[in-house]
Amino acid sequence: MKKIIALLLAVLMVMSLAACGSKQETAANETPAASDGDNDVLLGLIGPMTGDYANYGTSVRNGAQIAVDEINAAGGVNGWTFTLSTQDSQGDPDSAVSAYNKLMDDGMDVSLGCVFSGEATSVITAAKADDILIVTPSSSAKACIEGNENAFRVCFNDPAQGTASADYIVDNNLGAKVAVFYQSDIDYSAGLYETFKAEADVKGLEIVSEQTFTAGSATDFSTQINAIRDSGCDVVFLPIYAAEASVFLTQAQGKLDNVIYFGCDGLDGIQTKVSDLTMIEGLMMLTPFAADAQDDATKAFVAKYDELYKAIPDQFAADGYDAVYIVKAVMEATGKTPADADFAAALVEAMHSVTVEGLTGTMTWDETREPNKAAEAMVFQDGVAVLFAE
Amino acid sequence: MAKLIQTLISGLSLGSIYALIALGYTMVYGIAKMLNFAHGDIIMVGAYAAITVVATVGLPPLVAVLVSIAVCALLGVTIEFLAYKPLRQAPPLSVLITAIGVSYLLQNLALLIFGPEQKSFPTVVSLPTIELGGVYIDGITLATLVVTALIMIGLTLFISKTRMGKAMRAVSEDKGAAELMGISVNHTITITFAIGSALAAVAAIFYGAAYVYIRPTTGSMPGIKAFTAAVFGGIGSIPGAMLGGLLLGIIEQLSKTYISTLWADAVVFGVLVLVLVVKPTGLLGKKISEKV
Repeated sequence: MKKIIALLLAVLMVMSLAACGSKQETAANETPAASDGDNDVLLGLIGPMTGDYANYGTSVRNGAQIAVDEINAAGGVNGWTFTLSTQDSQGDPDSAVSAYNKLMDDGMDVSLGCVFSGEATSVITAAKADDILIVTPSSSAKACIEGNENAFRVCFNDPAQGTASADYIVDNNLGAKVAVFYQSDIDYSAGLYETFKAEADVKGLEIVSEQTFTAGSATDFSTQINAIRDSGCDVVFLPIYAAEASVFLTQAQGKLDNVIYFGCDGLDGIQTKVSDLTMIEGLMMLTPFAADAQDDATKAFVAKYDELYKAIPDQFAADGYDAVYIVKAVMEATGKTPADADFAAALVEAMHSVTVEGLTGTMTWDETREPNKAAEAMVFQDGVAVLFAE
Repeated sequence: MAKLIQTLISGLSLGSIYALIALGYTMVYGIAKMLNFAHGDIIMVGAYAAITVVATVGLPPLVAVLVSIAVCALLGVTIEFLAYKPLRQAPPLSVLITAIGVSYLLQNLALLIFGPEQKSFPTVVSLPTIELGGVYIDGITLATLVVTALIMIGLTLFISKTRMGKAMRAVSEDKGAAELMGISVNHTITITFAIGSALAAVAAIFYGAAYVYIRPTTGSMPGIKAFTAAVFGGIGSIPGAMLGGLLLGIIEQLSKTYISTLWADAVVFGVLVLVLVVKPTGLLGKKISEKV
């Protein structure tokens, strides 16, 4: 018996060694091939394509893919075409770093960063040593692009959203008393809450109740709902994701009347999650992209998205789409291609001077590498998000 | 005062779900002497079965309840036959690890078949919310409590009065001796799993009615909480499971309201540790004297 086990172990060891060897070999073979004049700019995207948060990842991917197809159909940029390579991270930061390394082995030319903040923070730190431009579409935590001068963002960061939400509630007189319901064990939600509170204090907005939950206790919100009802608030601020928000709204039905629910980009796609569309009637969210906007670019994008994926695109899809066009804009501005040795450096340099008219607004980037664009709020009417007008 | 009553009602509402799940846990443990960690995931399968019947096949919700119970009972028996029966003579640790494996298998199969997106549970029965002097009571809370109590009484009677129940108690006490007395141990354990899993289907219906959204990972957290409730009440004891579940729910909601929503789980598990230090067999658990 022992002999058999020993033999088995020996065989396993030899096999694993062989596996190591072959992997190094292929990597060595592929790297020159990728930057070897096939005139293809490889864009790498990392995000949750399966698992609980798959909707965010697939939205970004679908949006980016539409942009890639459009650009290629129009003849590419500087004689080069785009190819999008997507890696699944399931929203896990460690898997995201492995995914990034895989993309680098494949010869990635420009990184479209990560869908989620946790992933982006790990990847952008890991990418510091590499000479590569990163345009991250939807990861919104402040730390995501810190410490890497090559990393730029398409969406608003969390502090900006928290501040903008408080400003928006005050400027539009939505109410004087606010209850906050947030998830205390994720950066996104806790970060939004922090800046919202800070801005609310400055603007004289009164926070009458602060209720929290964690991933492990996200099924029963009855005590929190009772506390919010007792606080007598006018507005409930929900800086959380759509899945949890749909649970909250379902349980709050009939218990919280006459309040306005106000959330941020995490609520995107909530109309596909709730069991009954009446419960999101009047729900407001701060987002720079509205699928019902009447400009030509948005209309074309929404039609194309519906044709290919049978769905209405959300902000994540628009972020993905914009990220690809940002890469196109800086390549056009510099005239550089991956064949040039200073490709990445030139693109990074150009990021500070380009202006990109995207679906999520007209964007410029200063030395903070955050986008400058206008915030708008959407409100749900008959299950469709429309631009909020006073 | 209204706040306290409202909190207690929320606690009963949450606790009755825990109690319902804990009944299945404790039943299987009491008789087969194994912790079926896949119990929570059987609940998830039961919920998906009901969703599929109503949403895809289009049958009325009442049929969905019956189908869900049948699917779960069959699944429980199949799991027992394929995964646990070959390990009857193996050390308890092997069975425990297998149960965890089955749990992950079910979760990932559900992920594969139904996808990661949450699905809404169909309305099986629509019960109104009652308002009494500023206190809200969900109809579903009352229904869950009544059903859990009925099941508890039914199970206790079944185990103490019927022939099958007697066989179950014999198997639980000494498998070898039971076999010698002419009881089919395998058959008895199969029946135990069928009943335990059917209870999981009932829990699935009430979980779905109370919390609406079902995902592949839906079963895991309530499963762990219900296991805690079963240990709290004295694992193996059927009234203990009900008591443990209700107390766990009430403690959880009280600490959420009066201490902090952040601290609720810490308080719940802290109380569990205290109870086990003072009374290692749980609240209603029998003292087990080990045979040497």
